[in-house]
Amino acid sequence: MEAAEDFGPWLARQLRNAGKSQTDLAVELGMTRAAVSAWIVGRSVPRDETIRRIAELLHTDLETIHTRSADAQLGLPVSWYHRPAHDDGGREYGNAAAFAFEADVSVLAREATQNSLDARLDPSRPVRVRYTLHELTGEALARFREAVDWERLLPHYDALTADGGRQDKVSRTIAAGLRDMYQRDRLVLLRVEDYNATGLTGDDYGDGLFAAVVRRQLDSQKKDSGAGGSYGLGKATLWATSRLGLVLINSTLSEPHEGRTERRLIGRLDLPWREVDGREFAGPAWFGRPDPNAKSSDVARSWWADEETVERLHLTRESGEPGTSFLIVGAHDVASLAPVTGDEDSVEDDDSVQRMHARLKDALGRNFWAAMTEGGGHEAHLKASVRTYRNGAILIPEEIVDPADTQPSRTRALRAFLEGDTVDRLTARGQVARATVRLSVPLRGGEVRSGVPHEAVVLVTNAEDDVEGRPNRLVSMRGNRMTVKNSSVPNIPIGTNPFQAVLLVGRAAGPDAPGAEAAEEFLRASEPPEHNKWGQTEELRLAYSPAAHRRIATLTTLANQAVRDLVAVPRAKRRNGGEAKIASRLKVGGTTKKARPSGTAMPELDNVDALIDETGAWSVTVDLRVASNVDTDRPITPVAKFDVRSGPRPAAPWKELVAISGCAVVDGALRLTPGSRKAAFRGVTDVSRHPVRAQLTGLVVELRSGKGEQA
Amino acid sequence: MKVYPYRRLTGNVSWRVDSAQLKTEGEPWEDVESKYVSTVERVVALGPNDDRPDWTQARLRLSANLPAKAVDGGSPWQDVKVVAVLTERATNTRTAVELSPIATDGRELTGELYLHRCDLLDRATLAVHVVATVGGVRGRVIATTDAEWFVDVIETAPSLARELDVKLVGFESGASRLRRFKDSPWVVDTTGRIPAVRVNTDFDGLEGLMGGEGGNGAEKTVRELLLTQMCSEVWTAVFHSAVGDLEIEEDGTPLFPHGWQGEVLRAMLPDIHPDRDPEDALREIHAARTGTSATGWGELQPRIHFAASKRAGVPRTLSTTIRDLERLTQGDDA
Amino acid sequence: MTDRPSYLPEHLGLLPNAEAAEFLTEGLLAGREDTPSLKLNRVTEPLPYTDRRGELRPVRDLVEDAMAYCRAGGLKATQADAWLAPRLHAALRLTRREAADPGFWNYLALGVAPDYVVWRHLSDAKVAADRFRGQYHKQAFARLWWAAELFRDGSDYSPVVTACANQDIMNTALRMSVINHRPTAQAIVRLVAKGVITTGREVNALMGAVNASAATLMYDVIAPDVERESRPLLDWIAEAEHARQVSRQELPAGPDEEPTPELSVSALVDYFSDLFADAPVRGRDLDLGLEAVEETD
Repeated sequence: MEAAEDFGPWLARQLRNAGKSQTDLAVELGMTRAAVSAWIVGRSVPRDETIRRIAELLHTDLETIHTRSADAQLGLPVSWYHRPAHDDGGREYGNAAAFAFEADVSVLAREATQNSLDARLDPSRPVRVRYTLHELTGEALARFREAVDWERLLPHYDALTADGGRQDKVSRTIAAGLRDMYQRDRLVLLRVEDYNATGLTGDDYGDGLFAAVVRRQLDSQKKDSGAGGSYGLGKATLWATSRLGLVLINSTLSEPHEGRTERRLIGRLDLPWREVDGREFAGPAWFGRPDPNAKSSDVARSWWADEETVERLHLTRESGEPGTSFLIVGAHDVASLAPVTGDEDSVEDDDSVQRMHARLKDALGRNFWAAMTEGGGHEAHLKASVRTYRNGAILIPEEIVDPADTQPSRTRALRAFLEGDTVDRLTARGQVARATVRLSVPLRGGEVRSGVPHEAVVLVTNAEDDVEGRPNRLVSMRGNRMTVKNSSVPNIPIGTNPFQAVLLVGRAAGPDAPGAEAAEEFLRASEPPEHNKWGQTEELRLAYSPAAHRRIATLTTLANQAVRDLVAVPRAKRRNGGEAKIASRLKVGGTTKKARPSGTAMPELDNVDALIDETGAWSVTVDLRVASNVDTDRPITPVAKFDVRSGPRPAAPWKELVAISGCAVVDGALRLTPGSRKAAFRGVTDVSRHPVRAQLTGLVVELRSGKGEQA
Repeated sequence: MKVYPYRRLTGNVSWRVDSAQLKTEGEPWEDVESKYVSTVERVVALGPNDDRPDWTQARLRLSANLPAKAVDGGSPWQDVKVVAVLTERATNTRTAVELSPIATDGRELTGELYLHRCDLLDRATLAVHVVATVGGVRGRVIATTDAEWFVDVIETAPSLARELDVKLVGFESGASRLRRFKDSPWVVDTTGRIPAVRVNTDFDGLEGLMGGEGGNGAEKTVRELLLTQMCSEVWTAVFHSAVGDLEIEEDGTPLFPHGWQGEVLRAMLPDIHPDRDPEDALREIHAARTGTSATGWGELQPRIHFAASKRAGVPRTLSTTIRDLERLTQGDDA
Repeated sequence: MTDRPSYLPEHLGLLPNAEAAEFLTEGLLAGREDTPSLKLNRVTEPLPYTDRRGELRPVRDLVEDAMAYCRAGGLKATQADAWLAPRLHAALRLTRREAADPGFWNYLALGVAPDYVVWRHLSDAKVAADRFRGQYHKQAFARLWWAAELFRDGSDYSPVVTACANQDIMNTALRMSVINHRPTAQAIVRLVAKGVITTGREVNALMGAVNASAATLMYDVIAPDVERESRPLLDWIAEAEHARQVSRQELPAGPDEEPTPELSVSALVDYFSDLFADAPVRGRDLDLGLEAVEETD
């Protein structure tokens, strides 16, 4: 049977956890310290009999000692360890990052997924990211509280919310979370897990990814300098999404730590200063095993959990593939109060899992459409999905995010590019035009004038109606397929068909694009930590030259020009600029003012009911709306005409005109009853004046001010 | 309000020109770039330009969507057809084509409409009608879409608005009718396909002033004033021409003319009679012009003048000019 | 009386509306003066084409022959229309695009044959200005050409003869856009030819009924036409280079376009006869109309 870990390191950790030295164990076993040392360094292994005794001493069973898949339950148990406040009594208000942001699952989706993309392990395959919303109630909620050792948390929450006077944001948020749990018997878990990612490698406190993510909130520890997200803030959004400031983590490592890879667990709670049972606490609390090496036993480190524990904590991973699961406890989404486009019929409350599900899906599509696009044998960089459960039962089945749902035209553009299915000029809807623009990449530290020519790719396609937000924009990206710039293309003439354009530079322009690597490196240097533009940076100035950023401005200009050439008709070249200037002021048509006449004092036709009576005449019953400013002294003449294909319409004189209400008929005109807001009359046409039998006509009914010429 | 003795289709019938192709004698069909087919302006611009052949035939691909109720089993309409009709008044051209359903539910339809360059002068109208058998009567029009498209065979840019024909020419050396106006800075001719404006380059310094760019503050100010002045005169002339030859119904109702005349009237009438809807305003103006109204034609002139100057931007320009002038004068004093 | 222009150049030209105004003098409109032909030809613009159909002489001859034909036969000037319309159409061989330029017709009326315009349209000692320069259904030559264009059935000009022989068709139907649909135009001509429609009042009643009914019925659907082909027209125009002068005796042949589908024409003939049966014709017994209405219910 294959053990999870070598015996030596496992034993060493168990001793450390239990606070025993090698000598202590040797004494208890009645053996020499050298023998114990030999086991630990792996020079020898104890006999079966000795192993049985070691199991007894460590209060564990033989199974555990053989598989070594979990730690022995000796020493201080896995639980919450709250950091005491500084002795100087400074009331440090906990982690600013956690509660500084408005909870917004869209932001979470963007930041957390970016981190996963940056941590992609095998670059030939997509990193898989899955968002699982899980609403717990009743029994299931109680079990989870037990698993997370709720009793050790509650006093701290109570301490922060008990005082009614402290109505700061943190306590309000927590109070809402507790109300949700206790009054509505409801807790929402949001698990963010990735596969084919590095996992949280490295030591608990060292320079590794683990420490960067778990210990230091605002650190950025990037694996690849090609990474694109804002790492430090990214992590904070995980905690910000929790009403309780609580996130549990389970990571499968791509590189063994302490000889192991699977089920490395830790929990972190971010709370401000609080006083519990006369003791003061500040800053984070850890859910883990107390660190035997640390000076204070109130700091906990990650532990290697068994499958059952992981299951109870809702942290089970679907396979042994490396990556990390973050469980956000008490997930909420303040930003979703804004309306979203979803097919929910009922009005859901702001934290409804259905709503969050829809928003996550939307945010993933909007932010990562490019990374999720595949085609032409090119794998996507990312595959993302969202699913929702309630008490272990599927509420919304897993939905793979299709980038074409939120970004249909841009996705189409990129896919056509990957599949080599582009055209030179756009001639039909759904086509993608491809143009090349030149970026002269300066040499590193080199001369300003020389450079490597790079051919960037401009893609243009028609925008799909109303799905992607504003049209006529150019989105720019390099190899990581993150939108660095989203800018409107200038000087687009009126009447241009709405379009979306994508600029692919560096590695994004394809492996065959000349100068792709050089361009990628150059752009990376020109990208600030916010990853929101390409321009002058310190790195660019130092590594290239102070003027190097101008090359980017040139690229932008060329790209916009290329887009315009594809979508807009150039102004006709006139012989004379003066003529063009004058003519542009003298235009007819186009802007039909639909201005309602001001102060019009005519009743309006509200409804016309028409039928052809037994004599073949049109009989119409007309309802009028009479506004208060209508001058009732002025007669109104109803006029009927026959509709025609072209030219003057023949009149349909009334044979009979009868008032029904709100008016009287005097000399073939209507006198409105003063004060009446409605009027109705009936008219019957004179059939002898019909140009053709009524069944074949359309009748136009209008009102004229004054007494008409019609009899 | 119009009423018909049969059930008409309400709801949205959307349609568009999807693409266009051109054919030159002896050559294969050639795709027209989508930028010449504006779904925003609803104009297809097929005028000649550098990369376009001198075509003889064009083909438009159309698509339309019917509301579900048009094809429901229980509807009062049988044999529902969608027909696109291209018309141009100047050439009395009328071409109709029936679209064919592409899906089994019959709601999505497409079709191809062919047009011939020799049949068209400048701008044809393309409209879509829904036709059905209603109550046993075949060929009833049950809906006509509001959205018309235009196929322009002269312009290269697909734009709904059309520029007047502006040329800078020497009046003394030009056509005889211009020679008569040799002392005039500009003339307007409204008798053509579209109103023409001629600016006299034989008028010393006028071309440089009006057609130029930049210049000092005073020059810019004068140019702006001059341009708005000219535009105001153009709109006045154009309005008079548009209102001068109206078709009249038997009860005296004037009909809105087609083409630029109608467009000019619709644009300017709200400023001439702000308290009336356009039809009513046109009736009033026609009555004034023909002397059948209490308001005389002469009394209407200030209103026309106001509408024209407003359209030309005179009030705005004038106030800017006066401000600029004050600034210039102060500059002199300093 | 206005005479033939003293100066007739070799080729036809275009006289833009703006230029034409100058020549519409009181004297000319009263038929007392000639046009100043030298001056006029100085302000014309050349035709956009240079082929033989631009020659002036054949057109002038044709117009003279039209007048001679009437004088010889003791016919009224209005009767020249039926003779001249098909022959003018066949002599000019224009596309609609070319025919839509009013400058062409202005030139014919003022530069080529003002004497014809005066002869044909002088009434109450005055010619309406729009006979020289006017809309297509008013201008002396444009109305003939468009009548021929809209009423011919492919190469067959005989419906044109019928249509132009009836001044009410020329005055009422020609301006209505319903006749831009060939089967409609052919059906109307056939009703005239069959004698169903004869008087001016009847023509007006029929056209009113057809125009009103077209607001609810699409004739294009109930009586479809064949798809338009421009090839035969363009070939016919190209033949102008070698064509002989149009025959004064026989009806010429127009472009070899496909004739209007007989089924469509006869369907509309039946339909229009039916419309006409209950259309009110001024002077026709009112009771007849009412009876017909009741029948249809």
